[in-house]
Amino acid sequence: MRELALAASQDPKVHLTSQTRIIAAVLALAFMALVLELIRRDRLQERFSVVWFVAGVGMLIGAAFPGLLTFVADAMGVRDTNVALFSIVLLLLLGLALNFSVTMSRQATQITRLAQEQALEKAREQTARERNGHGAPAEPIEGDRS
Amino acid sequence: MRTLVFIPAWNEEASLGEVIEGVRESLPAADLLVVDDGSVDATAARAREAGALVASLPFNQGLGAALQTGYLHALREGYDFCAHLDADGQHPPTEVALLLEEVYADRADLVIGSRYRDREAAESDDYKPTFSRRIGTGVFRFFLTLATRQRFTDTTSGMRAANRRVMTLFSERYSPDFAEIESLQLAVRQGLRVEEVPVRMLERAEGTSFLTPLRSAFFIFKGMIVLVVGQFRPRRVEVER
Repeated sequence: MRELALAASQDPKVHLTSQTRIIAAVLALAFMALVLELIRRDRLQERFSVVWFVAGVGMLIGAAFPGLLTFVADAMGVRDTNVALFSIVLLLLLGLALNFSVTMSRQATQITRLAQEQALEKAREQTARERNGHGAPAEPIEGDRS
Repeated sequence: MRTLVFIPAWNEEASLGEVIEGVRESLPAADLLVVDDGSVDATAARAREAGALVASLPFNQGLGAALQTGYLHALREGYDFCAHLDADGQHPPTEVALLLEEVYADRADLVIGSRYRDREAAESDDYKPTFSRRIGTGVFRFFLTLATRQRFTDTTSGMRAANRRVMTLFSERYSPDFAEIESLQLAVRQGLRVEEVPVRMLERAEGTSFLTPLRSAFFIFKGMIVLVVGQFRPRRVEVER
């Protein structure tokens, strides 16, 4: 461990050892298998799975071609590839989280409208019931409902 | 000419019956709708016993969604005017009649009942706001006035009267969790005539206000975000004048 840390401090561009690359690749495959399993059990809808498959493939590519990461870090002007990796992943996750908030907001609006429609439907039923005999007479409903 | 008075109610079984009776007395010609916002007590049952029409939301959705339900009902059932008041007994139904006068006379599209605007109401002992509420009121008053370039004193008042232009707008767009303030800003930005009328309000008859100091601070902070964002919203809803 200590040797590794020492090596890291000497050379900012740490090259992934074949061992870590294999672990990364296995993790990526396991991750994609998990996503598949979730879809299969109807816990995750296909349209939301695309981004996670892309993430898994990205992990695989990163494991297969570690030179790519160094290249990206150079392009970003970052000396430490780890920093480049973390900042890219962090930004992507931030974007994803925001995207989920947007989706949630839209669904919250839809749920609210659904609840309102149901409430008004119940009120209309009550009106109809009261008009058909029992209870106080109610105002007639006029016009269409759109 | 038909008028709907609706009352958003969330767990207000204790005070609702009296409010409904009061509305019946002071506005005998108006239809009555109680929007039960997912109450877990006997709110809906009390309302039906009192002879009101009840729209029960299947789960609690917040005041904004409840109010929008009322506007939606008024719009679809072809009402010409609508008004709403709180179910907790703070709003004397006699005052609602004053607000309706204004929209009947077409002096405004949306009328807000203000407990702070002149008349003897401001000095009366009927209504004593708490410290945190006073701060919140002051902050909102300042920012809303800044945003709309129109003087508002009681920005969070839940006693309002409106015509069909407002129904059309509010049933389309109504902020679910910042109902009172954003709706004012929205209406002014859409070019609607919004007016305040002094009213008398009472202390809560039953229950306690949800405002603790921490909640108030959060409430104020959220309100400011809403107002700032509201200034950049597109004026896209077409409301014919």
